[in-house]
Amino acid sequence: MKNRIKDLKKIAVVCLAVFALFSMAACAGGEESGKNLLTNKEDDRKIVNMFSPMEKTQPDVENVARSASDKTVIMAEEKQNVKMEYITYTAEDYQDKTYDEVCLDRARNNMDDIYLLNPDTIQALGEEGRLMDLSGLDCAKNLRDVIKTANTIDGKLVAIPQEVVAYGMFVNKDMFDEYDLELPETPEDFLECCKVFKKNGIETPVGANRWWLETFVLAQAYADLYNGGDTEKEIAELNSGKRKYSDYMRPGFEFLQELIDKGYIDAKTAYTYEAIDGEGPDFMAQKTPIVIAYWGAANTDTAYGDTKFELQVIGFPTKRGQMPVLPMTGFAVGANAEHAEDAMRALDTMLSDEALQVYTETNKVISPSKNVEVDCVPALKPLNDKIKENVYVLATNASMKVEQWGNTCLIVRNLLNGATVDECMEEFDKLQEESLKK
Amino acid sequence: MKKKQDKSRKNKAAPLLLFIIAVFCILGTVVFSVARKISKEMSASAIQNLSESLELMKGTIEAILLKEAEFQQLMAQELVNIDNPEEFIQTYNRNQTMVRITLILSGQTEGISNTGEVLSESELDFSSGKMVDGLPISQSYINHMGTWAYSMKCPVVKDGKDMGTLYVEYIYDTFDKSLPDGFYNGRAYLYIMDAKSERLVLKPKGMGERSAGHLNLNDFYRANNIWEQDLREAVSECVKNGENILFYHNIRGKNSLNYMWALNEGSLYLIGYVPIEAIQQEGTTVNQNILVVVLVMLTAFFLCCMLYYLNQRQQIKIRKEREKEREIHNQQLAEALQAAQIASNSKTTFLSNMSHDIRTPMNAVLGFTTLLSKDAENVEKVREYTKKITASGQHLLSLINDILDVSKIESGKVVLTVEEFTLNDLVSSVDAIIRPMAREKEQEFHVEVTGIQHEYLLGDKTRINQILINLLSNAVKYTPEGGNIWFRMIGLKQRSSQYEHIRIEVEDNGYGMTPEYLKTIFDAFTRAENSTTNKVQGTGLGMAITKNIVELMGGSIDVFSEVNKGSIFKVELEFRIPEGHANKKFWEERGISRILAVDPDMECCKNIQMLMKDAGVMADIASCPEDAMRFLDGKDKGYHMVLLDWNLAHMDGIQFIKKIREALPVAVPILFLSDHGSEGMEEALKIENTGILAKPFFVSACKEKIAEMQSKSGEEDALGDVKEENLEGLYFLAAEDNMINAEILKEVLSMEKAGCEVVENGQLAVERFTSAKEDEFDAILMDVQMPVMNGYEATRAIRALSRKDAGKIPIIAMTANAFAEDEKAALAAGMNVHLPKPIDIELLKKVIRECTRKE
Repeated sequence: MKNRIKDLKKIAVVCLAVFALFSMAACAGGEESGKNLLTNKEDDRKIVNMFSPMEKTQPDVENVARSASDKTVIMAEEKQNVKMEYITYTAEDYQDKTYDEVCLDRARNNMDDIYLLNPDTIQALGEEGRLMDLSGLDCAKNLRDVIKTANTIDGKLVAIPQEVVAYGMFVNKDMFDEYDLELPETPEDFLECCKVFKKNGIETPVGANRWWLETFVLAQAYADLYNGGDTEKEIAELNSGKRKYSDYMRPGFEFLQELIDKGYIDAKTAYTYEAIDGEGPDFMAQKTPIVIAYWGAANTDTAYGDTKFELQVIGFPTKRGQMPVLPMTGFAVGANAEHAEDAMRALDTMLSDEALQVYTETNKVISPSKNVEVDCVPALKPLNDKIKENVYVLATNASMKVEQWGNTCLIVRNLLNGATVDECMEEFDKLQEESLKK
Repeated sequence: MKKKQDKSRKNKAAPLLLFIIAVFCILGTVVFSVARKISKEMSASAIQNLSESLELMKGTIEAILLKEAEFQQLMAQELVNIDNPEEFIQTYNRNQTMVRITLILSGQTEGISNTGEVLSESELDFSSGKMVDGLPISQSYINHMGTWAYSMKCPVVKDGKDMGTLYVEYIYDTFDKSLPDGFYNGRAYLYIMDAKSERLVLKPKGMGERSAGHLNLNDFYRANNIWEQDLREAVSECVKNGENILFYHNIRGKNSLNYMWALNEGSLYLIGYVPIEAIQQEGTTVNQNILVVVLVMLTAFFLCCMLYYLNQRQQIKIRKEREKEREIHNQQLAEALQAAQIASNSKTTFLSNMSHDIRTPMNAVLGFTTLLSKDAENVEKVREYTKKITASGQHLLSLINDILDVSKIESGKVVLTVEEFTLNDLVSSVDAIIRPMAREKEQEFHVEVTGIQHEYLLGDKTRINQILINLLSNAVKYTPEGGNIWFRMIGLKQRSSQYEHIRIEVEDNGYGMTPEYLKTIFDAFTRAENSTTNKVQGTGLGMAITKNIVELMGGSIDVFSEVNKGSIFKVELEFRIPEGHANKKFWEERGISRILAVDPDMECCKNIQMLMKDAGVMADIASCPEDAMRFLDGKDKGYHMVLLDWNLAHMDGIQFIKKIREALPVAVPILFLSDHGSEGMEEALKIENTGILAKPFFVSACKEKIAEMQSKSGEEDALGDVKEENLEGLYFLAAEDNMINAEILKEVLSMEKAGCEVVENGQLAVERFTSAKEDEFDAILMDVQMPVMNGYEATRAIRALSRKDAGKIPIIAMTANAFAEDEKAALAAGMNVHLPKPIDIELLKKVIRECTRKE
């Protein structure tokens, strides 16, 4: 007992001594007179402005794709000693300037250094010579051929994506099972499915927005071109005017028209809907069994990553079966950007194998690098299988003189807005004529 | 008392505890209120700082707008003086502030801007009616550069005539450079909102700024979970009126201060939020520091309290221990006092008893001597009186012996004299003393010995004898006539092979003792007193002496008693077994290796068997005549001795004995084991080679008996010795300083027809012996305590003389120094024998005879 008391006393004395020490330490030091109290050391990091789209929906949910991209940006900041400044834009509604339009404006006015561009803007700006050639970057050596094919304009690799974006049809498998429906392979299958759904009280079997219906058309148009045809020859003939784009596009437009006519797609709402914002809620609420979206939407909770039903992503129905559509987005550097050199270094890091590995693992997508591959989520397996079999349609091809992605989108909108298929085809003919004049 | 103290302590502790709690409550309240006040003040200060910062930003932005407007007005004035203003405008290069300049001449709806684009008046929306320095400012829009912009229009007036309107487009990015970089360490967010469209036209950059909420006010609300309708209405109202608004709201898990600061009379708004923890950083730090200080103080306080408490506890413990010690001490003192009082009382009682006990025989002595002097002529009376004087003297002597014994034992002067003895001698001597006493009171005295393995033991025989005599004489004393007394000697299981463990039990069915008396039975100077025992004489020291001796021997004594039922004393002692005893040799020499013991008491038989085994003799046992005869008629008729219980032996006269005698060779002795001497055994003893052996059986007694039977002449020798027991013709030198004693000695010796020369001290004795002829004196009787030279010195001097007989002459110590150590000292000085005073004439005669015979 006596020992315990002694121990307690010792502890108490030690504690008091420590307190005393702390108190003395706290009293030490004082105001440092005669010294400049300000730190004038400036941030020596180089600024790199990056223009990219802005998140608009569900603020409290993590956007996996953006998080993945942010990780590569952080990597670039650390490795290249730069500070990335985001400049963002998204249209409030359809009346606003689109992201692509703003992209074009900003790139043409050299407002930023790096741009995240959609296929049509890549082609437009590339043709205008406003984008740097990225083929000299280290990261470019590891790219898959499909990337190089899609984004090379006049011999310059003008944009490199962080993921190969693949578009497909997102289907509610539970609803298909409910009505004993097989997942559609051909347009006929698809019409039959829609018919059954419609018959069973589903008002609009296909949810659509003003952006992504073009994929539907493109799949129909170029399924043969990219799968079995003499691609280069046919493209050359299209570029020379021997073949007409409208001939390729017509079946797709007619098919789309049929879907609209039969009420499987609501053209009016689709014309005003922003991507996912518009048609997404109905799909998640299982009111719509089919929507069109890109690969990453199956991974992120802000889109269709967390469904209460079995989600499957399949290719668009064509005569050649299910067909994924691959448009090429990508990061590009403004040719006259203020910080072009720093931007190139930063981009090289962001698109390096190391960064793409992080990006791909986080986002579970198809990497543009030949050296990076990860497993996809189960929902994407049917789509992934097709791509692995090299069965896909390119939605953008810089070797085609008529830009496909942006133009098709606008012409599909015309169809949605009431134009006839013939009028739409005339638009393509007009574009082809203009391209032939260049 | 203790409960009262505890209660008092609790009563004191409760207010103290309440006081401490109250102090802590007050302290807590003060600290809380101070912290709250600091927090409030800091918060107010932070809001003030924030307001000032926003005000400053507002001033900066408005200054920019003003400068832009002023410059535009200057440009408009300049255009008046230019011949071709449109061409002039187109020569303007775009700069970072004015990204597009357009002049639309009066009457036209379009104009060519310096960027080469055509600007239509309808493209711009000036409907808000907001002005900067008198110039209308348009609603914000995304310009041709893909960034948010606004335009101001300024009329170009020449001589009071409206020439046209100058439109200049400015971009919001310009403001970005004027806004603080990292507002509140980058924790505050700043946007510029177009009030009319509620679009966010300037947004934060940096990492993570792509988060939702950057689109418009609604998007801001949605991203930050601002759903309260009343709040949103209040904001709308403020925006509508161009007023500022600050409000608290939780933004993404953090309580934040939201601000909407009107710029340019509400055409634009600085909006954003800052977490409270960012603006109250100092307040939080101060409060944290206060908390730390309070915690440190509390810890220090509790440490001090703990130390104080431990110290107090230690003090209380020490005090309690001291109190306890004091209590014990007091109790010991009280007990000692009580003991002293009891001792004093006991001694007073004892003295009173002694006075009575000594005076009684003394009175008898003196009374009878008086009577003696009167009746000197009457021989019969003289004999009677002297007999009574002797008895009284003997009693006085025993009293004195007891008192001296007690005082010796209590002063630790008793030394045990360890020597070899036999239990047979012990039992025989005790039996010889007690049995007559018991017979006098017509009591039955039973002696039982069982389980003893070794008979020859080492111990102080005299003291053991004293124990037994004390216990047994008490038993006789305190047992009424016709009662029974049992003396048992029981061999217990040996604790060590070197020691015999014995229990001695003395039991009686006498008066018994009260439990109260039992408690003090072993205390000195106590004596059981009641109407019955008052008749019993005694010092009351016997039991105290007994207990002390038992404890001195390392044993224990217990007593159990009930009034009118009797008592039993149990004494347990251990005696060392002597090594290499010649017990076996005796039997071997006499060719006795196998015997037959016949006794109906099997316990007794086994006892014999066990004891004889120790002596190296095998014993067969039989409990009845038939068994005995079977043994004797057996094939192996090698019995060398027969022990026969007398009660069994004479059941049918002496026929059985005769049969045994016939069955055995004449040389084989037959011994009758008897409880009561040799009464009625005469006829049996006539049978050849038979003898009596007293019960209980002891090997030593048996040995003696065998030896006695084998040499009958021994008896005759003994008779001769008796005849020689007079001192006729002997002449002694006696050294005695006391004349009376000297005279008595002379008289006694003269009665024995012996002569004596008395000298007064040792010195004279030495001188007389030196001058004496050889063989003049047969022995020297030496007192010890004498003047000039004491007996020891004188003996040593005599023994040191060169005379031939100096070493041989018997010197007999006759002294009142009666203790054992006195005897040792006497023998060490060279004396032959030590005789304590008063002199026992018979003993003196025996000793002198032995000494002179040896010589």
